[in-house]
Amino acid sequence: MTLVDFPSMAIATVACWSAGSALQIPAQRSKAFGVASWLLMISGTAVLTWFLASYWIALERPPLRTLGETRLWYATFIPVIGFLVEYRYKIRWLKYYCMGLAALFLGINYLHPDVFQKALMPALQSVWFVPHVVVYLVAYALLAASAASGWHNVIQNLRHKRSEKGESMSHYLALLGFVLLTFGLIFGALWAKEAWGHYWTWDPKETWAFISWLAYLGYLHLVSMKTDPRKLQWYLGLAFIVLLVCWFGVNYLPSAQNSVHTYSG
Amino acid sequence: MMENVKTGSAGSEPAAGFKESAFFTLTAILAGFVIELFSSGKGIDFPGWPFNLIFLLLFGVLIFAVGLLFRERPLVKWLGGIPMGLSLIVGLALLSLVGGVVPQDAMPPGSFAASLRLNGIFSSWPFALVTLLFLFNLGLSLVWKIVPFKPANLQFILFHGGFWLALACGLAGATQLERLTVPIYEGRSSNKAYDRKHDRMIELPFSIYLKDFQIDQYVHQFAMYDPKQDRLVETSSKLLPEIRKGVKAEWPGIGSVTVLDYLSHALPRPDGAPVVVKSEMGVPFAKVRIESGNKVAESWISSGGPEVRPQFVSMGEYFVVMLEGQPKAFRSIVKLNADKGESKSATLEVNKPVDFMGWKLYQASYDEKAGRWSTLSLVEAIRDPWLPAVYVGFFMIMAGNALFFWKGLKKMEEA
Repeated sequence: MTLVDFPSMAIATVACWSAGSALQIPAQRSKAFGVASWLLMISGTAVLTWFLASYWIALERPPLRTLGETRLWYATFIPVIGFLVEYRYKIRWLKYYCMGLAALFLGINYLHPDVFQKALMPALQSVWFVPHVVVYLVAYALLAASAASGWHNVIQNLRHKRSEKGESMSHYLALLGFVLLTFGLIFGALWAKEAWGHYWTWDPKETWAFISWLAYLGYLHLVSMKTDPRKLQWYLGLAFIVLLVCWFGVNYLPSAQNSVHTYSG
Repeated sequence: MMENVKTGSAGSEPAAGFKESAFFTLTAILAGFVIELFSSGKGIDFPGWPFNLIFLLLFGVLIFAVGLLFRERPLVKWLGGIPMGLSLIVGLALLSLVGGVVPQDAMPPGSFAASLRLNGIFSSWPFALVTLLFLFNLGLSLVWKIVPFKPANLQFILFHGGFWLALACGLAGATQLERLTVPIYEGRSSNKAYDRKHDRMIELPFSIYLKDFQIDQYVHQFAMYDPKQDRLVETSSKLLPEIRKGVKAEWPGIGSVTVLDYLSHALPRPDGAPVVVKSEMGVPFAKVRIESGNKVAESWISSGGPEVRPQFVSMGEYFVVMLEGQPKAFRSIVKLNADKGESKSATLEVNKPVDFMGWKLYQASYDEKAGRWSTLSLVEAIRDPWLPAVYVGFFMIMAGNALFFWKGLKKMEEA
């Protein structure tokens, strides 16, 4: 499957998510609607996963090279986090943020289509390519969910409807995200040694990866200092902005002109 | 960090001292910038071998001594506490932010950025001072977790100790890192390496003989070029079509192009038609049928080569052009000969470095203008004696991280 099929696949996915979300209203009264709603929402993600898998086959390389390709992965992973959180913690609202964010990413890809490009530059042909990028993708997806949950908690706190369960969830999502961020950073360093000769060269992307890692390291220290969790929701909501700069914003910075990572843009 | 919310000894320290810590960090940063200003942004030169090791050992002894002898002193507690750690993390992040925004390369010497060394922030005094204080803070917290040792502290020790080791050894070892470029032509041998950072030539204790340099390319592609807007026009399938016999590409509203024949190695006759040749000097040719409205035409196109001009064909106000396939892989088949007689045959390829006599050899680049006809290979020879220490640090961080993940999952289950 190529990018020609992307619009219909994206529309099918968003339609499934929307219909599934709409059915959540009658699902509060009827179990049958609940089942139908979940089937639809999971089908949305399944369609996207299917597209991603067949796109991988058509490309003859992992679709992890361009920003558009990484958006496809986020759109697949983020709702799954929302679904798992509801399954485990019975927190229902997170999945809507997750599907909304995923639909936004699909929308960006629809408006700015990638060029179907099979070529993979030699530096990316490595056993590290998939683990490094996938670990980062899952980390970003978890931290995106943590930021969404952070903002939700901020709004709820302003409305004097504090939920400690909600705050604890955004904390654990950030914690797992940080763990994967650390693995991603070190996998990247080990790969850089093999590909470019040195594990750390302060390339702008590396610098921003370090800054975003420090941002969440700072968060964990604030937690250790028993900072008011209500304040930390602001922190989690804002920390994600640093990740966004690292993900794509870095391409627009003056420092990026000599970056070895700009191909990801 | 990594203390959980409910338990932890260092973790339950009050936030008191945070303002003082932030002020202290800020002072260190400002002091660093003042030094830069007075030294016209020269930056810091870390001492070379063996002084880097001596410095690091003394620093380690100092941390242990202060941490163990004065652990109850409020000042020492404050220096090794979380508020100080957090302030220094913010300090490191802010300085890195400068490095993440300002281009890190040469700037006019008199410029404001250069006099504060904002264009070389990671070798600047403010960065060095904050890092040193950070290592001191991190070191103290580590000492307190190591003595007395408790199994529950293992995750803390692995993560923090790993970070300390990787950061300290990475910085102390930077002066001994050698990154040299060795240019070699096919059929020749060289031991002359260039240190581009210090602009000098060094003779390696071995020579590299380049038997063959090879480039694999992706399949050539063809495209519709719009000279008015200087861009390629997208096909209806959104993909850049590969040149293969029988492939047809359509451009909505313009027309279609079909590949009728493809010759991978050919040279043009005087009339422009290609003749197949066996030599590597041959260039690819494709015969294409162009259909635009009622007009149908057939023509040869070629991406050209060092001695052959590219051929393209017009289609209304556009041109149908052949694009050179992008490099898929490039490798040097070499023989490494040590001065003392040891020798080794090897293939250098991107992502597949080869070890020889304490050096790691990388396939770095080639003559990109000559493309697949390049007979020049650029090999990079790298030696980093501190790498094992940094890697031990990395693996400690990963082990600590794995424990943290496991503990986090367990706590999530309980939550």
